Amino acid sequence: MKRKTREAIAGYLFALPIIITVITFTIYPIFAAFYYSFTDYNPLNAQNLETKFNPQEALELHLGVFQSEVSSVDEIIDSFDLLSFIKYDVGVNLDKTKEKIVLESFDVKKLLKDFVDGKLNKEVKVSSFMAKYLKKGEKYFKKYIPNFLGPYNFKKMLGDQYFKISLFNTFFYTIVVVPVQTFLALVLAVAANAKMKGVKFFKLTFFIPSITSSAAISMIFWMIYSKPGILNRLLGYFGFEPIAWLENPNTALPAVMLMNIWTTAGYFMITFLAGLQDIPRSIYEAAQIDGATPGKIFWKIILPLLRPQILFVATMGTIGCMQVFDQIYFLIKNMRNITISFYIYKNAFEYGNMGYASALSLVLFAIILALTLIQKKFIKESY
Amino acid sequence: MRRKLKISFIISYLILIVYAVVSLFPFIWAFLVSTTPLNGIDPATGEKFGVDIMQWPPNINLFRIPPKVFGVNATLENYKKIFEVVPYYSRWFLNTVIYALALTIGNVILDTLGGYAFARLKFPLRNFWFILFLSTMMVPFQVTMIPQYNLMVKLGLVNTYPGLIIPKLTSVFGLFLMRQFFLNFPKELEEAAIIDGAGIFKTFFRIALPNARPAVTALSIYTFLGAWNDFIWPLIITSSKEMYTLTMGLNFFKTSYYTFWQYMMAATILMTIPMIIIFLSFQNQFVETGRFSSLKG
Repeated sequence: MKRKTREAIAGYLFALPIIITVITFTIYPIFAAFYYSFTDYNPLNAQNLETKFNPQEALELHLGVFQSEVSSVDEIIDSFDLLSFIKYDVGVNLDKTKEKIVLESFDVKKLLKDFVDGKLNKEVKVSSFMAKYLKKGEKYFKKYIPNFLGPYNFKKMLGDQYFKISLFNTFFYTIVVVPVQTFLALVLAVAANAKMKGVKFFKLTFFIPSITSSAAISMIFWMIYSKPGILNRLLGYFGFEPIAWLENPNTALPAVMLMNIWTTAGYFMITFLAGLQDIPRSIYEAAQIDGATPGKIFWKIILPLLRPQILFVATMGTIGCMQVFDQIYFLIKNMRNITISFYIYKNAFEYGNMGYASALSLVLFAIILALTLIQKKFIKESY
Repeated sequence: MRRKLKISFIISYLILIVYAVVSLFPFIWAFLVSTTPLNGIDPATGEKFGVDIMQWPPNINLFRIPPKVFGVNATLENYKKIFEVVPYYSRWFLNTVIYALALTIGNVILDTLGGYAFARLKFPLRNFWFILFLSTMMVPFQVTMIPQYNLMVKLGLVNTYPGLIIPKLTSVFGLFLMRQFFLNFPKELEEAAIIDGAGIFKTFFRIALPNARPAVTALSIYTFLGAWNDFIWPLIITSSKEMYTLTMGLNFFKTSYYTFWQYMMAATILMTIPMIIIFLSFQNQFVETGRFSSLKG
C-alpha cells in the first residue's frame, strides 16, 4: 500500500469518532432546528404514537361497560363514537386530514368484534393499533410528522409580548454587563501589571469566581440578596430600606447583572494581563519621560495596544451574555425579567412548543452572529 | 517622579486589595453560614432559637476551640447533616464524578486523535470537515439542544448515563485546541521516526502523544471543569433524582430546603471545593497561560 493511502486510512480512523459525533449531535441538530422552526413540533404529540395502552380498557372506559358483560357487536355499536374514542381514549391528536382518514377508513366493526371476542386485552403501541384497524392511510399514524407552518412561528414572535420582553432584557443585560466587566477587567489588569509583590495571589483570588459553577454562585448570591440578607444589612447602615432584590422586578435583573460582572471580570483580567505583559516596558518609560500623565498613558498607549484582547473579551462576553441561562433559571422569578434563552427553554421543555422554541433559537443565533461581526468591524475601525 | 510612582503603586495595591475582598467575600460568608447551627422556631415553646446569620460584624473568634462565628460555636455538623437530610446528595456527587470523568476521558482520547489527524494526516475531504466544524462553533447550544433531546428520546436514552454523556464525548473546541498544538509541534521528531521506519500509529503513540502532555492537561482540566459545572444539559436530560448531578441537586435544595440557609451553603461549598482543589493544583495552567480563554462567557 502506498504511504498516501495508508495516511488517508489512518486519518479517517483517527478522525472518525469526532466526525460521527459532531455530525450526529451538532450538525444534524442544526438542520433539524431549521426544520422544526417551520413546524408545530410538539414533544407530547411525538411521544403520543409511541406510548403503549390497553385497547380493551380504553374501550371499556369509552363504552361504560365491561368486556365480560358484552356478547355481541350490535349491543355496543350505537354508543361507540369513533372520533372521541381515538382522540380522548387512545389519545391521538387529530387534525383535519387525519380526522378524514379515520372517519373514512377506520374499521369499527373489526375493532368491536375483536373487543367482544376478548382479543384486545394486551398492551400495544398506539401506532401499531392504528395500523391494525386502518384500511388505508396508516402512514399518517406510523411516525410523528409535525404540521408544516411556513414562516408562522417567526410571524408569531412579532405579536408575542414575552418574546419582546425577553429580547429587550437580553440586550439590556449585554449592553450593561459587557462594557462594565471589560472596563473593570482592564483596570484590574493595569493595577496588577505594576511590578509588585503578591500579584500571583491577586490573580488566583480574582479567578476563583469564574471556576465556580453558576449554580453555586447563584445560591450564594440568593442568600446575599435576600431581604434579611447581608447586602440589606450593610446598606441599612447607610440608611437604606431593605429590598427583596430578586423578588422586585425592578432590581432583579440588575442584581443578576452585578453578579455576572463579579463572576467574569477577574477572569477576563487574566486575558488583559497577558496582553499587557507583552507590551515592552520601555514604551511606558518613554511616555513618562515625555511627561505623559497616567491617564494619557492608559487611553493613548495601553488601550490601542490591547485592541486584540479587547475585541476578544468583548466578543466572548457578548456571546456569554446573550445566552445567559443558569443564573436566570436560579434567580429570576418574575416573567418580566426573563432572558431569551430562558424563554427558549420554557417554550421547548415546559410548554412543549418545540417548533416555536427552535424558531426563537435561530433568531438568537442570528443576533449573536450579527453582533460578533459588528464588534469586529467597530473595534477594528475605531482608534 | 519617584513620588508619582509611589502614589500609583499605592493606588494599584488598593484597587487589588479591595477587589480581592470583593471576590472572596461571598465565599467566606457562605462558608461562615455553613458552619453555624440551624436556626428556626422551636415547635414546643414557639421561641426563636439559633443565630442571626446575617449579622454584621459576624463576631468571629478563631482563637478558641471550637471557633466562634456569629457569636456561637462553629460546627461542621451541617456537612454531615445534608447527607442525612438529602440521602441523594452522595448519589449526585457520584453522578457528577462519573459525568465529569467520562467526558474528560472521551474528550482527551477522541479530540486528541482527531486533532492529530487534522494537523498531520492528509485524508480526503479534510478541509471540508474542518470548515464545516469551524462554522458550527458560533452556533449557540440553544439551537442544538432541542433536536439533541429529541434524538435522545428516540434512542430511549433520556434519564440515563449514556444519554447524559454520549453527546458530550467530543467537542469541536477540544479538537481545535489539540490541532493547534500539533501544528505548532516541531515536525522533525515525527519525520525522524518515519525515516526510521515507524508507521503512522507508532509515530503517534510513541512520539506525538507523549509530547502532547501540556495540551492534554489543559484539555482535561477544561473538560472536567465544564462538566462539573454544567447545568443546562443535566437539567434537560435527567428527570429523576437518582440521575441528577450536583448542579441539579443544588436546584433541588433551593426548592425544598429554601429556609435552611445552613444546609444550602454547606451543599454549595461542598460542591465547590473539588474545583478549588483542581484550580490550586493546576494554578499556572489557569493564570499564566491564555489557554482557558473560552472557559466562560
